[in-house]
Amino acid sequence: MKSKATGQKSVAQATNTRLDRRTSLALYRQMLVIRRCEEQLARSYQAGFIPGACHTYIGQEAVATGVCAHLRPDDAVFSTHRGHGHALAKGVSVRRVIAELFGKATGCSAGRGGSMHLFAPEVGMMGTSGIVAPCILQATGAGYSFKLLKTDRVGVAFFGDGAVNNGAFHEGLNMAAVWELPTLFVCENNMYATEVPFASATRNQDVASRAAVYGLPGVAVDGNDVIAVYKAAGEAISRARAGGGPTLIECKTYRTRPHAEGMRDAGYRTVEEIEAWKARDPIPHFRAHVMATGMASEDECDQIDAEVKTLIEDGLQFAMDSPWPDPATALDHVYSTGK
Amino acid sequence: MRELTFTAAAHEGLAEEMASDPTIFVVGEGIGRRGGNFNTTTGLYDLYGPERLRDTPICERGFVGLCVGAAMTGTRPVVDFMFIDFILDAMGELINQAAKMQYMSSGRLKMPLVLRGCIGVGGASATHHSGSYASIFVHLPGFRVVIPTTPYDAKGLLKTSIRSDDPVLFLEHKSLLNTKGPVPEGEYTVPFGQASVCRQGTDVTVVAIALMVKKTLEVCEQLVQEGISVEVIDPRTVAPLDIDTIIESVHKTGRLLIVDETFAPCAIGAEVAAQVMDRAFDDLDAPVRRLNGVQTPVPYSAPLEAAVVPQPPAIAQAIRDVVAE
Amino acid sequence: MAIAIVMPRLGWTMEQGRLVEWLKKDGDAVQAGDVLLTVESDKTINEVESFDSGILRIPPDSPPPDTVMPVGTLLAYIVQPGEVAPFEQPDARQESAISVTATADTQVAAGMPRESASGPTVSTRRRGPRISPRARRVAAELGVDWNAVNGSGRTGRIIERDVRAAARLTATASPAPVLAAGEARPVTPIRRIIAQRMAESAQTAAAVTLTTEADATELVVLRDKIKASLTSRERSVPTYTDLMVKLTAVALVEHPMLNATWRGDEIVVHAQVHIGVAVDTDAGLLVPVIRDAAARSLQQIAAESTGLAEKARTRALKLDETQGGTFTITNLGMYGIDAFTPLINLPQCAILGVGRIVSKPAVHGGQVVPRAMMTLSLTFDHRVVDGGPAARFLSTVREYVEQPYLWLTR
Repeated sequence: MKSKATGQKSVAQATNTRLDRRTSLALYRQMLVIRRCEEQLARSYQAGFIPGACHTYIGQEAVATGVCAHLRPDDAVFSTHRGHGHALAKGVSVRRVIAELFGKATGCSAGRGGSMHLFAPEVGMMGTSGIVAPCILQATGAGYSFKLLKTDRVGVAFFGDGAVNNGAFHEGLNMAAVWELPTLFVCENNMYATEVPFASATRNQDVASRAAVYGLPGVAVDGNDVIAVYKAAGEAISRARAGGGPTLIECKTYRTRPHAEGMRDAGYRTVEEIEAWKARDPIPHFRAHVMATGMASEDECDQIDAEVKTLIEDGLQFAMDSPWPDPATALDHVYSTGK
Repeated sequence: MRELTFTAAAHEGLAEEMASDPTIFVVGEGIGRRGGNFNTTTGLYDLYGPERLRDTPICERGFVGLCVGAAMTGTRPVVDFMFIDFILDAMGELINQAAKMQYMSSGRLKMPLVLRGCIGVGGASATHHSGSYASIFVHLPGFRVVIPTTPYDAKGLLKTSIRSDDPVLFLEHKSLLNTKGPVPEGEYTVPFGQASVCRQGTDVTVVAIALMVKKTLEVCEQLVQEGISVEVIDPRTVAPLDIDTIIESVHKTGRLLIVDETFAPCAIGAEVAAQVMDRAFDDLDAPVRRLNGVQTPVPYSAPLEAAVVPQPPAIAQAIRDVVAE
Repeated sequence: MAIAIVMPRLGWTMEQGRLVEWLKKDGDAVQAGDVLLTVESDKTINEVESFDSGILRIPPDSPPPDTVMPVGTLLAYIVQPGEVAPFEQPDARQESAISVTATADTQVAAGMPRESASGPTVSTRRRGPRISPRARRVAAELGVDWNAVNGSGRTGRIIERDVRAAARLTATASPAPVLAAGEARPVTPIRRIIAQRMAESAQTAAAVTLTTEADATELVVLRDKIKASLTSRERSVPTYTDLMVKLTAVALVEHPMLNATWRGDEIVVHAQVHIGVAVDTDAGLLVPVIRDAAARSLQQIAAESTGLAEKARTRALKLDETQGGTFTITNLGMYGIDAFTPLINLPQCAILGVGRIVSKPAVHGGQVVPRAMMTLSLTFDHRVVDGGPAARFLSTVREYVEQPYLWLTR
């Protein structure tokens, strides 16, 4: 099955060791799946197949990929409005992501959510969100559950720089630290909250440094370097599973497409800046690394590229062919039981 | 049958549920060793320790958001706000997250979350400790809103609330906490959506909310002397609302008054009136009337405080007026 | 496969856009990320990048720059080297990797709620006394005319107790209540009598019903002529029921076995014909009796029946005005009924049911022409009389309907 390869991976504990071939190819493949899926969604948006919003993750793939490589299906991820990548990396199929953005019954939220509400709790994807920052508190709550239930599961929050000046960041990190909860806070600092530059939103732009304020470890990594993210996340997740409490990881990265598809991407950042970050695209860099270290040949990488292309085409066709939700179901699930 | 206070009955309900389900935990300010400002958790910390009786920092938004995440991942949080006014800091987490999570996940996530706290005007609590806010939650899809008025209902409804997979507002009027009433020894629960006919009558139906149930019952004997037979209904849960019981009563009496100490616009009384006119217009022998608190922030000083909520003489007069229509 | 370049949707609300200019020409090589064209939407100029690499092919019929067009309008293709653009293929079907246009619109529109048309607000001025909804409902149930009731509500509104008081005051004169669905009410004395008599009739009489169709055209002509001659003289115009009373009475004189009553061990054949006429009133079925109908003139019958019917409706009939009938006529023609099976008014022997007069094609004088037809239903008690005499009687009645001069001259 084509979609199987995008399913949940459990990459062995590889922290502090050189990435092996299997892990490396899995990371490469995962980043590429996100990239190609996002490109297809951008196309489909322009073609009118996506009736609502569409926030792409292009440029930030290394973060979701590097973190989720350490997660199991029973770990809980809470995400943001820019969450397609997190959903895919957590094991939601390309088919169900595209179908959801198309508003189809087969989407991962059965057509109730769209881009900003991707749910697949069966693989630990506890939702992307249209509101910035509550994911921080919910991941803290998942940590609370997992500790109370005496498991080694972890809660993970992905959020942008736009969330770190919100009260939820302060309250969530504070509670996670004081109660030593198994929670990982992943800040994807892409420098702009929608179109507001981080520099104009806060005096202390060193997000990782804020962890010390609450008494938890804080790490800053190059968010375009999947190896760096992978290693930092591995350490933090191992610590959390072992009862060592939460960690804040700041991944410095950049989105190379506008905030949302269809929005103008001018006036708040320069073309030169965008081009500079495009030159630091995590995917070609990691591909070159994989080949340079002899872990895979160019042919093998091409083979993965071709597989991913087929996977995306299959996902698109699936979404196109899928039925619309039955309007009679519009009132279902407001409550746990009936009305 | 033994008699317990409202507080003791609710405490017993919580204690029984915590004993039978280890995934239940309580969060709040001072609910740990101290046992809660209103003795909601007295003695439970010694039994279950800090993880299940969690004293929190003063960050309502934060710990409500935490409990939303916990409810999504296998535990059953009970948030003890002490005063329900404090819930306002957490509205985004409740309205945008807790209430929508089951729907957005197509029912794959549950939201077993109890939000309890004291409501109501009284005791010179002043404006930050006197609110009720039930109607805000009634307006929104996804919430259950429970307002018990007797010790029996407090225990039975709290147990149902804790067992519910929906977010439940459990609102306890502070002037009812020390009232006593019969509570059986054995296990029982009270279902959502079943109003209680507290007193039977033939001339006028009064739907009363929270403390107003007690105040209305106080004036009924006087009205009997005047030849007015009052039927008093306590909805017990306002979401879901048992409109059928109210309509059945109006079919008998032809007259309806809703007494609620909270503000009138867009509130429970307005909803009850609209539903009755929709479904029982031809039963009405008089216009539906509401008696509400004055739409103002709640003042502190006793004479001012008494002036902004319905008192028994005003309730009696409102009943007479409806009967005279 | 060729990839379509369409007018892109560049915002949540964008429905159409203006092609400003192509930055690549037909045949140019294009790299992914190259700006292909600029588009104006919402007064802003947007650069549209290519997602794909290849060769840009702009069809000859592509909209020229400065054209405003709907989102999804096909502008061009990206093809691979060596690939023929769709518009240059022999069977140039417009097919590409992504098909947009109409389907996209349809899909977007499918989930949108329709605006509901709301009519203008009409305010109607209330007339007459004010009454509570409940009082109005109770008034209908009790048959109280609330327009005549005084309201005791605070603003003079009629409330339930006012209606109930009015109902008690007029209880003796008020008609039977109309039952609302799902309601039970005590049986009135009139209803009880009707029930007893109808049940007795249905259970004890050996009832047989005969029906026949009569051509009533001449009867209609007769009545029209009488009517025309009487209008200026302030006398009662005989109804069809009156005409039927008279002609049936004459027929009964000729067929006395139908003018008989059953008394268990004897059959009484009556010398005089007293015809009961069923009258539908609010209180229930009443049957005032027109005495000696065979001997009286049509005009006398008309005058008497008018008075009796009025008394029946106002419940002013005296006991003897409803007793002693020897035969009954029931006319349901005014309700559009044709044939039916009337129940015998015991101890009488028979009852004649009169159906409506309706214009129908009929053979008359060898030709099919419209005629005023009427159905007659005779129920008789087979204990008293056999089918032959009953049929002959009904045949006579039909003749009298069809040829009124036959009885007018008796």
